[in-house]
Amino acid sequence: MNERDTALWWAKARSGGPQQVSAGTATPAGMRRLIESDARSVWFLPAVPSAAGPQVLAEYGQPASTWPDTAGTLRVFAACLRCCWPDPGTDPWPGRPAELAHVDWVLELLHPARDRISRQRLLTAGLRRLETARWVLPASGTVRLGPRVAMWGPLELSTVRELWRLIPDPAADERREQP
Amino acid sequence: MTDPNPVFDAVLGELTDRQREHVEAAYALLEHSREPVHRQELPALREPTSRDGLERLLRRTGRVLVQVDDLRFTTGYDDAVAEELTARGWQPLSAVERAVLVLVLVYSVAIPRSEERLGQDSWTSTYPATEQDILRAGKVPPVAARAALSKLVSAGVLRRVRGGDTDGGYVPGPQLLRLTPAARARLQDQLILAAAPDHPLAAAIRRRRDSTSKENNR
Repeated sequence: MNERDTALWWAKARSGGPQQVSAGTATPAGMRRLIESDARSVWFLPAVPSAAGPQVLAEYGQPASTWPDTAGTLRVFAACLRCCWPDPGTDPWPGRPAELAHVDWVLELLHPARDRISRQRLLTAGLRRLETARWVLPASGTVRLGPRVAMWGPLELSTVRELWRLIPDPAADERREQP
Repeated sequence: MTDPNPVFDAVLGELTDRQREHVEAAYALLEHSREPVHRQELPALREPTSRDGLERLLRRTGRVLVQVDDLRFTTGYDDAVAEELTARGWQPLSAVERAVLVLVLVYSVAIPRSEERLGQDSWTSTYPATEQDILRAGKVPPVAARAALSKLVSAGVLRRVRGGDTDGGYVPGPQLLRLTPAARARLQDQLILAAAPDHPLAAAIRRRRDSTSKENNR
């Protein structure tokens, strides 16, 4: 692959998020290749060295591109993370698909004030927003984590693992009670 | 994430440790910051070898340095890369998102500009397009339009301003400052064609495009 094609792939990933292609495609220089569980397709994501990554913003006192949780999107993500990543000792990608009913159950505990209909609306809108950046990949009735979770570095992962432990999971509690 | 990256290593390998550090930091700030970066924060720009390294690194990843004003810089898509992707049909925004974006730009930029309340090449605005403008004047279904607005805001393409009773609405977001001079000129032409297709200016743009495309075909 020449320099021009590499630049095109980088621009695609920047504007459209991680790119899914068939497994035969050559990996563009400087990008990571994530293999899908069926091994038929791969995802390309930019592998920016940590010294040039978004974490540098904090060192320079620049505001990070945070994601305000006004619409509850982060809680939806937290619920997906809890259900699709059963063992935080492993890597979050590829995780495993979770039933939307399970995600909704966790979301109910994170958002106790919402009724069923407004929670359903939040879940639908939240998943749509998260899917845009490939944080999650919803399918009919299920959801799984998207390739973007593979971009977390070791530092971010340890923070996410700490947060994971704070997210309640009624299904796991139930399993523990009925050994 | 500390794996060797051939693109970064090829460009930065020739630099000293200090230069490399400056270039990587500049890349991080320019590429990931929501707003343009003050040149004080960018020592890589003050020294020719580092600046050259930064520009080569950006170009390898489809990007170029964009100067926003006397003091601030950002990065944007390389015009040649954007042109090639567009020619191949690449389009990350949906039709509804593009329609909503155009409506906001018409109300917040094109109209104030035609009344000389905004500068000719200014892509920040203090004249928000109200939700009414977008939902009532446009033909986009309200539910889809609201979803598109929320996506465009979270991507930084639009910014939501909450004013008093009447001033709330949407203005262009910080991402529009990433447009290169050529991209801004193209967008300006497109806005004239969209907002005033019968205006003499629109006719002039069509003539100019006709003649350039003929020259290219020759």
